[in-house]
Amino acid sequence: MPGPIDLIIWFLGTAFELAFVVCSLARKSFLRYFFLNLYLLLSTTVSIGRFFILWSYGQRSGQYMYFYFYSDALLTVALFVALISLYSHVLGELTAGEYVKWGAVFLLLGTAGFSYAVVAQSANRLSTNFAYELSQNLYFVGLVLTYILWGAVLKLRETRTRLVQIILSLGLYFSAYAASYALLNFSGKFSMMRYICPALGCFLPLSWSLTMLRYTDESRLVPARLVAVPR
Amino acid sequence: MSRKLGALVLAMGILVGAMGIKTVLSAKMTGQTMMANGPAPWPIPPPQQPPPGQP
Repeated sequence: MPGPIDLIIWFLGTAFELAFVVCSLARKSFLRYFFLNLYLLLSTTVSIGRFFILWSYGQRSGQYMYFYFYSDALLTVALFVALISLYSHVLGELTAGEYVKWGAVFLLLGTAGFSYAVVAQSANRLSTNFAYELSQNLYFVGLVLTYILWGAVLKLRETRTRLVQIILSLGLYFSAYAASYALLNFSGKFSMMRYICPALGCFLPLSWSLTMLRYTDESRLVPARLVAVPR
Repeated sequence: MSRKLGALVLAMGILVGAMGIKTVLSAKMTGQTMMANGPAPWPIPPPQQPPPGQP
C-alpha cells in the first residue's frame, strides 16, 4: 500500500478535480467548458476505481498496472479533446473550425499509428504497451499543442481572463511533466519523482478551480499585461 | 492546397516536433519514465522493448 503522503496527495487531487466540476456548475459554465469538465469527471471516476483496485490487489499487482495504464490512455485522449476544445474557444471568431477539427483527427490518428509502430514487434502485452506508448506520446503532442495555442493567444490578443489562465495552467502542467520526465531520465532517481509527479496531478485541477472561482466569463485582461505583439 | 491537406501537413509537423522533444528528453532512457494523469501512485511500468537482435 502507498504511504500516508501518497494517500494525502491522492485524496487532495481527487477533491480538486471534483471541485472544478462543482465550481463550473455553480458558475453556470459547465456546458461552456464541457470537455474540461468531462475530463475531470472521468479523472475523478478513474481515481476512485484505481483506489478500489489498489486497495483490493496492491500497488505492485498486475490488476492495478493494467487498470492504471488503460485508464491513463483513456484520460489522455480526454485531455487531448479538452485541449482541442480550448482551440475552438480561442479560434472561434475565425473561420478555422474546419482546420481544427481535421487537424485534431489527423494528429490523434498519427500519434496512434506512430505508437503502434513502436510497439508492433512486441508479441507479449501488445495492447498494454500500446496504451502506455500512446499515453506518453499524446502528452508530448499536448505539450507542443499548448505552446502553439499560447502563441495564438498572444497573436490574437486574447483578453478573456478565464480562458487565458486555463491555457496557462495547462502549459505549466505539461511543461512541469516534461521537465520531470527529463530530470528522471538524466538522474535515474525514481524515488525522487514519487511525490513530485502525483503532486503535479493536483496542480491542474486546483488552478482550474481557482480560475473558475475567481473570474467570470466577462472578466477581461488589460491587453498591455500580455506580451505586446506588433501586428 | 485544400483545408484537409493543410491540416494534415500541420498535424504531421506537430507530431514530428513532439516526438523530437520526447527523443531528446529520453536520451538516457532508464525504462522507468512515465507521465500520467491524476494524483494516483504509479504502478510498475510495463517492460520496455528489448533492442533489436536481443531475446
